[in-house]
Amino acid sequence: MKLALRKVGHSFLGRTLFENLDLSLDAGEVVALLGPSGCGKTTVLQIAAGLLDPMRGRVRRGYVRHAVVFQEPRLMPWMTTRDNIAYGLRAAGQGILARTAAAERRAREVGLEFADLDKYPAELSGGMRQRAAVARALAIDPDVIFFDEPFTAIDVGLKRSLQDLVIAAAAREHFSALFVTHDLSEAVRIAHRLVIFSGRDGRALADRAIAGQPGERDDRFILDLVEAWARDPAFSDLFDGARSDSR
Amino acid sequence: MRLAAHSLAFAAWVGRYLWSAWVGAAGLFCVAAAWQAGHELYGSFVLPSPLETLHEVAVIGSQSGFARAAGETALRALAGFTLAVAIGTATGTIAGYSFATMRLMAPIVTVILGVPPITWIVLALIWFGSTGGSAVLTVVLASLPISFVAGLQGVATRDRALDTMARSFGAGGWLRFRTVTAPHLVSYLFPAWTTTAGSAWKVTVMAELLSNSGGIGGELAAARSLFDIPRVMALIVVVVAFALFSEYALLQPIRDRLEQWRNAGQPWGVKR
Repeated sequence: MKLALRKVGHSFLGRTLFENLDLSLDAGEVVALLGPSGCGKTTVLQIAAGLLDPMRGRVRRGYVRHAVVFQEPRLMPWMTTRDNIAYGLRAAGQGILARTAAAERRAREVGLEFADLDKYPAELSGGMRQRAAVARALAIDPDVIFFDEPFTAIDVGLKRSLQDLVIAAAAREHFSALFVTHDLSEAVRIAHRLVIFSGRDGRALADRAIAGQPGERDDRFILDLVEAWARDPAFSDLFDGARSDSR
Repeated sequence: MRLAAHSLAFAAWVGRYLWSAWVGAAGLFCVAAAWQAGHELYGSFVLPSPLETLHEVAVIGSQSGFARAAGETALRALAGFTLAVAIGTATGTIAGYSFATMRLMAPIVTVILGVPPITWIVLALIWFGSTGGSAVLTVVLASLPISFVAGLQGVATRDRALDTMARSFGAGGWLRFRTVTAPHLVSYLFPAWTTTAGSAWKVTVMAELLSNSGGIGGELAAARSLFDIPRVMALIVVVVAFALFSEYALLQPIRDRLEQWRNAGQPWGVKR
């Protein structure tokens, strides 16, 4: 067990977001956390990553290092791409030579070119920035990575290649991951297990294992599964936009 | 290889910075042209020509007493600038992290800013007498709030999203200050520091003139009592030259280096 949330509850300004939430993450497991927008998925992720203290319940961590990939790249505009990717290693106290070498290796893995490393984030395209953010997370050799809707603002073709990148990295390095998303097909592509989260009573509505390994599922399978689950009442919150907005 | 590339980039930056001085020189020559026009309208007694003034600058530059007076003023202005910037920036930065301090200090800053510098000079004269100390104190009191407010604003408006990112990687407070807050703070501090540098010269000369404590201000008082208009103009030119030097030779290059990343991503041709 890498991570376990037990009976976690949180509220903002008296409004309860969720209550009695249980969530666990096994070694090498990628869990997708789905829910309609505004249901508190990001808050769950922040609590899991230790960025926010839960008001109730407890979080148990059985790992050493974690990294977070945010919705926006969150690169330092005043640092070159190389320094940005190496930032986690710098925070971990690594020397400049070791962290530069690691940053350059990780940049190659995520498909950044050597010439891009001396550029500032302003000179990179949106997709390249998010690649750099993924490389920054991978660079510290994390045991757990938290993804907070990382590919929402990226166009469809690029989104696929970034998803493949995460799938390949997870298979290669065996990190566990909590992947927050509101896109069911993205979740089905990337994850081993799916947790549907509803804001109304703060419980997990469904907890489903997905057949096969990420990366080995073909498009037909993903499409069929998404379609089948779309008719499932447990998933209705995800698609019923009108109701979740009026809530 | 990388060293060569870096030194080449540095040389290119130095060249660009020096080249941009032409634009600044053009602005200064416009001022000189207007001055010349004024001189031709009112004559040498009211407004000596730029050339006469430059000649006078050369004359007083060769006098041994003047170098000492200028050095005195420079030292006082520098001491006042350093103290105001150091104390103002440090306290402002700390206050930026604390909401209570921020609320508490805001009216105090307004009070200090609201007191005219001239009254500080009067008070400093009473407290310190006719020494350089009163000039320094006046500079510090008059310009400390500017750095304070800049530091406070800079810290208060730091990018919280980047701060959270740094925290998620386990970055400690000091590393986060250096990598997240400080680069953002610089864009608030430099305008404050250049303002302080400019006013440090002005206020020092003013305090020296009123307190009769030597320096360029003392020279100015003597020249005024003798109705030596070219000498007055020459002294003004010297003070302005000092201010220009401290801004464009000392502060601006540092700022330009620190803020190079802002030029990144802009297409060629609109950089400057």
